[in-house]
Amino acid sequence: MKKLLLAVLTMVMAANFAFAAGTQEINAAAESGDSDKVKLVFTSWRTEDIERMNRINDAFTKEYPNIEIDFQPVKDTEYDAQLKQSLAAGVGADIIFLRSYDSGYQIYKTGSLEVLNDKIMDLKGFPSAAIAAWSTPEMETYAIPSVGVVHGVYYRKSVFEKYGLSVPATWDEFMAVCETLKDGGETVFAQGTKDNWMLYEVMFAGLGANFYGGEEARQNLMNKDIRFTDAGFVEAMERMKDLQPYFPDRFEGIDYVTMQQIFGTGNAAMFMGGSWEIGIFEDLGGLEDVGYFAPPLKAKGDTLQYCFHVDAGIGMNKNTKYPDEALTYMKWLASPAYAQLMMDELPGFFGYTPGSYTLSNDLAKQMQSYVASSVPTVRTVWEKLSAESPSGNELVAEAIQKMYAGELTPEEACKYVDDGLAWYYR
Amino acid sequence: MLEARKKHARFLFLFIFPAFIIYTVFMLLPILNSMKYSLYTGDGLIPTEFVGLDNYVRLFTEERYSVKFWNAFRNNIKFFVIVTLIQNVMGFFMAVMVSRSFKGNKFMRKLSFLPTTLSVLVVGYIFKLILNPYYGVFDKFLEMIGLESLILPWLGDPRTAIYVVAIAVSWQFFGESVLFYTSGIDGIPESIMEAARIDGASIWQEIYHIILPSVLPIVGIVTILIFIGDFTQFDIIFAMTGTRGDPGYSTDLFGSLFYRTAFASSERGGWGTGMGATVATMMFLIVTVGVGIFLYFFSKKREELEK
Repeated sequence: MKKLLLAVLTMVMAANFAFAAGTQEINAAAESGDSDKVKLVFTSWRTEDIERMNRINDAFTKEYPNIEIDFQPVKDTEYDAQLKQSLAAGVGADIIFLRSYDSGYQIYKTGSLEVLNDKIMDLKGFPSAAIAAWSTPEMETYAIPSVGVVHGVYYRKSVFEKYGLSVPATWDEFMAVCETLKDGGETVFAQGTKDNWMLYEVMFAGLGANFYGGEEARQNLMNKDIRFTDAGFVEAMERMKDLQPYFPDRFEGIDYVTMQQIFGTGNAAMFMGGSWEIGIFEDLGGLEDVGYFAPPLKAKGDTLQYCFHVDAGIGMNKNTKYPDEALTYMKWLASPAYAQLMMDELPGFFGYTPGSYTLSNDLAKQMQSYVASSVPTVRTVWEKLSAESPSGNELVAEAIQKMYAGELTPEEACKYVDDGLAWYYR
Repeated sequence: MLEARKKHARFLFLFIFPAFIIYTVFMLLPILNSMKYSLYTGDGLIPTEFVGLDNYVRLFTEERYSVKFWNAFRNNIKFFVIVTLIQNVMGFFMAVMVSRSFKGNKFMRKLSFLPTTLSVLVVGYIFKLILNPYYGVFDKFLEMIGLESLILPWLGDPRTAIYVVAIAVSWQFFGESVLFYTSGIDGIPESIMEAARIDGASIWQEIYHIILPSVLPIVGIVTILIFIGDFTQFDIIFAMTGTRGDPGYSTDLFGSLFYRTAFASSERGGWGTGMGATVATMMFLIVTVGVGIFLYFFSKKREELEK
C-alpha cells in the first residue's frame, strides 16, 4: 500500500517536472523563432481603448516592422496597485501610462522609470506646464505628456430646441436654462452622486473654477497663501449646491455608468462631463444630437478658467529588456504623427505635442475652440495637495457628496477639506 | 501495536505533508512577512526603512488613520451582527423546516443552497442592478404594491448602504448555514424525536430541548465562519460600493480598508504598504482574538447544556 502510494506520488512529481520543462522549451522556441522581432508591452488604465490603440500601434509597426506593441491595459481602479506590484516583481510593462503629479512621481521614486531629458530631445518643445506634471522638482522628466482632457457640459440639442434655449454663457443664464427644463418636466441633469470622484474632478474643478479664481487661486492654495475656507472656494461650493434641485430623483444612488447611460440614451437634457466621454456617448446613441458648452462664467466679460487637465503621460521602464526598441517607440510617441493618430482615434483626448493638427470630431473641435480665449488650469487640488492621505482629491469629493446628502453646508464642506488637509500645513 | 501506530503516523504524515507545505508557503510565510512589513515604511511596494512599532502608534494616534480604522471596525461589527442574525437565526429555522418531512422538502434544501454556488462578484453586481434607482426592478416592485413612500436610494444613502450589502451577503450564504444545520439535525436519532412527540412536546419544546442542544457545536462553527468571513470580507464591498466603501466610508470594512491603504496610490486613499501591513496585522489579531472568544463561549455553553 505504502509503496503504491509512493509510486503514485513520484509519478505525479515526475509528470509535473516534465510538463514544466515542456512549457519552458515551448517558450524558448517562441522567443528564438522570432529573434529579430521584438515585442514591447504597453500598459494603461484605458481598457476601453484596446481596439483604437491597436490601430495606432499598427501604424508604428508599419514604420518599424521589427517592433511589435502589445497593448495590455488594466482596469482603472486596479491600475496603480497592479503597476506597483508588477514593477516591484520585475515583470512590469516596457511602456507605462502614468498619472500626473504625485501619483506618477511615486512610481518614479521606486526607481523603475527612465529619465527622458537627454533621450528624447523633442520634449523641449512641449508646453512647460505639461512637462512639469511628470517631472521631479529638479526637472528630471520621466514621461512624455500624452493626453489632456477638458471638462464642461454636454447637452441634447433637440431638447434645447424644443424649449427654444440657447447655450448659456453665464451662470445666471445656466440656471435659467435649468429652471425652464425643470418646469417643462425634463430630467435636467443625468448627474448622480454615488461615485463621488465626478463631483470633484468634473463639477468642482470644471464648473467651479470660474468662481474660486481658476489657476491663480490654485497656485495660491498650493503656496499656502490662501486656504480652502476662503471666500472663492466657498462660493464655488455654493454654486455646486445650486445644481442639486436639478438632479434626478434618488441621485444619491446613481453611479457613474448609470449617469452616462441616462444621458447617452437621451433621457436627460444635460450632463456635466469630461472630454473622454465623447466615445462613450457615440457608442450609446450617436453624437448627432449631442452638443457641448464650456463651464458658464461668473459674469459676462470674465475670462474663462478652463480646466484642461494633464491626464496621462507615457513613461519607459528603466529595466526593460529592449531599451533601444523601447526608446525608438518612445520617440515616435513624442512625434506629431502619433499625436494626430491619437486625436483621430480617441476624440476628446488632446495631445500636447507641438504641431498643427486637424480635429475630425465636431465635439472635440468645440471643446478646443474655447482654449484660445481662456486661462488653462488643472484640477484644483491634484498637484501637491494630494501627495498624502487623506488627499485633497478625496476630501473635495467627499465634502461635496456630504453637502448633497444634506450633512454639510457649503462653508462646512470647505472646512471639511481644510481640516483634512492638516498634513499639508504641518 | 507500537509498530502499527508508527505506521499509522507515517501514513498520516504523508497525507498532511502536501497541505502543510502549501499552507506554509502560501499562508504562514506571507502572514509572517506581512507582519514584518508592518514594522517598516517606504515609498515602494516593499517598504525598506525599519521604524519599529511606529506604524502602530500612528494608526492609533493620528486622527487621519485612527478615524478610518475605527470606522471600519464599527461597520464590521454592524455587518457581522446583521449577517449573523439573518444567516444563523433564519438559517436555523429554515433547516428545522426542511428537515421535517413534507412534500418538496428535498427541493427546498437544494434551492436554499443555490445562491451559494454563485460568485460573490456576480451577486454583488446583480444586487446593484436590482437596486439601481434609475432602472432597478426593486423600486418598481415597491411602486407596484403601493409602497413608493418606502423607496430610498438604497446604496447611495449612508444610513442604509451597509444593511443592504449585509443582506446581499446573507442571502448568498444563507444556504451554507442551512446545509450545516440540516446535517446536524439529521444526526439526531429519530427515536428521541419520536419519544418527544409521543410525550406531546410542541415544536418549540422540540427545538429548545432537543434540536438546539444537539446542534450547538454547529452554531459555534457557523458563527465563527461568519465572523472570519465578515472581518476579511472584501469582494462584496468591491462589487457593490467600491473600495472606498461609499457613500462616505459607510460601508468601509477591514477588507476594503486594507486593500485601499496598502495598494492604492495616496491620492486614492493609500497609506503605503507599511501602514497597509499594519492594518492587515491588526485584522489578523482581531480575528484571532475574536475566534478565541467564540470558541471559549461555545465550549462553556456546551458544557452547561451537557450537565
